[in-house]
Amino acid sequence: LHANLHGVVDDPLHTDKETHCQRNPFCEIAVEEAVRMKDQKLASEVVAVTIGPTQSQETLRTAMAMGADRGVHIKCDQELQPLTVAKLLKAVAEKEKPDMVLLGKQAIDDDANQTGQMLSALLGWSQGSFASKVTATKESLEVVREIDGGTETLSLKMPAVVTADLRLNEPRYATLPNIMKARKKPVETMSPEDLGVSIDTKLKTVSVAEPPTRQAGAMVADVNELVAKIKAAGFA
Amino acid sequence: VRDLYKRVIVVGKDYPKGPDYVREKAKKWFFQNKDLSSERDIKRAVATGRAFIRDEMIAAIQLKKYRVMRERYKVPEEEALAENRTKS
Repeated sequence: LHANLHGVVDDPLHTDKETHCQRNPFCEIAVEEAVRMKDQKLASEVVAVTIGPTQSQETLRTAMAMGADRGVHIKCDQELQPLTVAKLLKAVAEKEKPDMVLLGKQAIDDDANQTGQMLSALLGWSQGSFASKVTATKESLEVVREIDGGTETLSLKMPAVVTADLRLNEPRYATLPNIMKARKKPVETMSPEDLGVSIDTKLKTVSVAEPPTRQAGAMVADVNELVAKIKAAGFA
Repeated sequence: VRDLYKRVIVVGKDYPKGPDYVREKAKKWFFQNKDLSSERDIKRAVATGRAFIRDEMIAAIQLKKYRVMRERYKVPEEEALAENRTKS
């Protein structure tokens, strides 16, 4: 298989200056899967893509330390919605022409679980989301998906978009020698304007709140007290 | 030896107990061995250090991360099982 595989690393935390950008764990799993395919000689090149402020370059270096061959950094300081991310990735995919785009199923900041699906629709490519196993053959990709009540196995024609679920693999840890090697790998930087994508958003976050704290349970002495409390609460 | 120290510090950034804890422990560790003179002893100590990074530190980091993720993103069956446990 001659394939350019993309492990996409999406950086979530932009708004707080004190918060360091975190690597999205699901995207790390995607990068790991791409690198494994390269290790197995199923893929010829792995390109890692990240969208975010300058700090996201560090995430890119980690992806390259894990084994990606080069990086693409779309520099953007604003928090982006999934549709915008999908449009940016579409532009990159049209430039790079990979056989497969691998993403995390969702980002741990918004838990939207939309980008991969939107990307596949925008590109008109096959889609295998919530992948817990990916097997590549010359003609197709077999993706086992985690769904409610079990699993579903799909055979996808390439090019395809696959989103990684938690159980797809356990990513390797990038050690210092690999991080040093990664410094020599090329990173291309560009802006959303360079890709012809507008970052205007039609969505506005109205509020964010923590879930209400759980009320402590009450211990009862015996069945009679339990029954009395149930009656008092109006359930009997 | 300097390379080993760098490796410990870099991995320490991700360590659950925090980079400061790691730096303190590492300094103590390294100073305890500062009087080693034979090449064989030094090499052995460095090898022990590397093995420690690989088998203890990195393992602890990975375990913590994926335990947190598994807890946060339970599969429906796992969630049902967990709920049943709290109910009973």
